[in-house]
Amino acid sequence: MSDFSFIGTLQKILSESGFAAFAQDPRNLAMILIACVLLYLGIGKKFEPLLLVPIAFGILLCNFPLTGLLNEPMVVDGATKSPGFLWVIYQGVEHAIYPSIIFMGIGAMTDFGPLIARPSSLLLGAAAQFGIFSAFLLALALGFPDFVAAAIGVIGGADGPTAILTASKLAPAYLPAIAVAAYSYMALIPLIQPPLMRLMTTQKEREIKMEQLRIVSKTEKIVFPIAVAIIVIGLLPDTAPLIGMLMLGNLFRECGVTDRLSDTVQNALCNIVTIFLGLSVGCKATADHFLTWETIKIIVLGLLAFMLSTLGGLIFGKIMCKLTGGKVNPLIGSAGVSAVPMAARVAQVEGQKANPANFLLMHAMGPNVAGVIGSAVAAGFMIKVFGG
Amino acid sequence: MGNLSGGSFLVALSGIVIVFIMLAVLCIVIPIISKAVQSLQKPSVSQRSSPGPRNVAPAAPAAAPAPAAVTGDVALFDVDEKTAACIMAIVSHETGIPLSELIFKAIKAI
Repeated sequence: MSDFSFIGTLQKILSESGFAAFAQDPRNLAMILIACVLLYLGIGKKFEPLLLVPIAFGILLCNFPLTGLLNEPMVVDGATKSPGFLWVIYQGVEHAIYPSIIFMGIGAMTDFGPLIARPSSLLLGAAAQFGIFSAFLLALALGFPDFVAAAIGVIGGADGPTAILTASKLAPAYLPAIAVAAYSYMALIPLIQPPLMRLMTTQKEREIKMEQLRIVSKTEKIVFPIAVAIIVIGLLPDTAPLIGMLMLGNLFRECGVTDRLSDTVQNALCNIVTIFLGLSVGCKATADHFLTWETIKIIVLGLLAFMLSTLGGLIFGKIMCKLTGGKVNPLIGSAGVSAVPMAARVAQVEGQKANPANFLLMHAMGPNVAGVIGSAVAAGFMIKVFGG
Repeated sequence: MGNLSGGSFLVALSGIVIVFIMLAVLCIVIPIISKAVQSLQKPSVSQRSSPGPRNVAPAAPAAAPAPAAVTGDVALFDVDEKTAACIMAIVSHETGIPLSELIFKAIKAI
C-alpha cells in the first residue's frame, strides 16, 4: 500500500480509458459524431426513428474503444471467453433471422386485398424493381465487385429488411452503409418521388380517377398467402426466408383463428426484433468500414436506385394507362417501390393535388405490396447468382 | 468501365425478366384462384340464403305485419335508418372488421 499514488492511479485510469484510445484513432470520434447526427435525424427530424435511433446508438456503442462489445467467442488456454454482447445480437442478422421476422410483421400488417382485387398491380411492382438492376450496373461501373454491387442494387427495392438480408449474405462489410442508405431514403420518399412523378406524368394523367376496387372475400385472402408461398418459393427457393415469413404473417392476419399470433407479430415481436436489428446494423458501422469513399458511393447509388425504381414504376404506369384506355392513373406506378405504405400515400397526395376528388390510396396499395414481393424476388435472384 | 462487362448486363436483364415472370405468374394465378374460390362460395351462399327467410320468420312472429324497410341489402324491422347505421358502426368497431367487409342481412328491434 505504501506504493499507492493517487496521481499515478488517476493517470493509469485515464491512460487505459476509452477517451485516451480516441487519440490513437480519431476516426472513432468522427463515427460518434455521425451517430449523434443520425440520432438527431431520428429524434429531431423523425426520419424512420424506430430504426434510425437503435442504428445510431449501435454506431455510438461500437465506436467506443476497448468495450469488447463485438468480441467473437475465443478459446484461450482451453477456456472459452464469452463473446461481446453486440456480437451475439449480430448473429440474428448474420443468419438472416431478424429481416425474416420483420417480414412476418410486415405480412401481418399488410392487407393484400387491393392486390387480389387488381392483380395487374403486380406488374407495376415488378417494373419498380428496375432501380435494383440499374443500380447494380452503376455500382459495377464505379468499381464495386459484383457481389457488393448486387447488395447495393437492392437498396432500390426500398425495402429495409430485404436490403439488410442481401447485404448480410453478400457484402457484410457494407451492411451499415447499405442499411443507413436504405432507411434514410425510405424516410425521404415524400421528397424524392413527387418531382419525378410530376416530371413523368401530365396533369391530365394525374387527374385520372380510378374505378372502385371489388370487395375481396375472406377465403380469397386466406388462400392468397398460401398460393404465393407455394409458387414463389417453389420457383425461387432462395426467397423462402422473406416470402415464407411475409406470407405466414399475412396468413396469421387473415385466417381469423390466430388473432393473438397476428397481434404479437405485428406489435411485440416486431418491436423487439426492430431493436435487435437496428443495434446489429449500427454495431457493424465501425470507423474502418464506414469512413470510406465506398460509403459515399453507396449513399449516392442508393439515391439513384430509388429514383430509377420510381421511374420504372411510373413508366410502366403510363404504359398501363395507355393500354387500359386511361383507366389506370400512372401515379400508382411509383408506389411499386416497396416502402409500405409511404409510397402509396405519396401517390394519394399527388393524385389529390391534381384532382381533389381523386382517391388513389387503395389503388396504390396494390403495386405497393406487389413491390414487397418483387423486391424479395429480386433479392432472391441476386443471392442465387452471387451467393456462391 | 469499372467492373462492367457484357455478362453483367446479361445478369441485370435476366434479373428484371425473372422478377417480371414471377409476378406475371402470380398475376395469372390470382384471378384463377379468385374465380375458383368465388365459384365454390356461390353454391354455399345460395344454400345459406335460401333458408334465410325461414330463420327470420319464427324469430318475429308478432312483428310479421311490420313492413320491412329495405336499405341496400339490409332489411330493417321496426328500426330507423339512423339507429341501423349506429348499430352497424358499433358492430364494426367491436369486432374490428371494417364496415366494408361486413354484410348485414337484417336488423330487427326485439
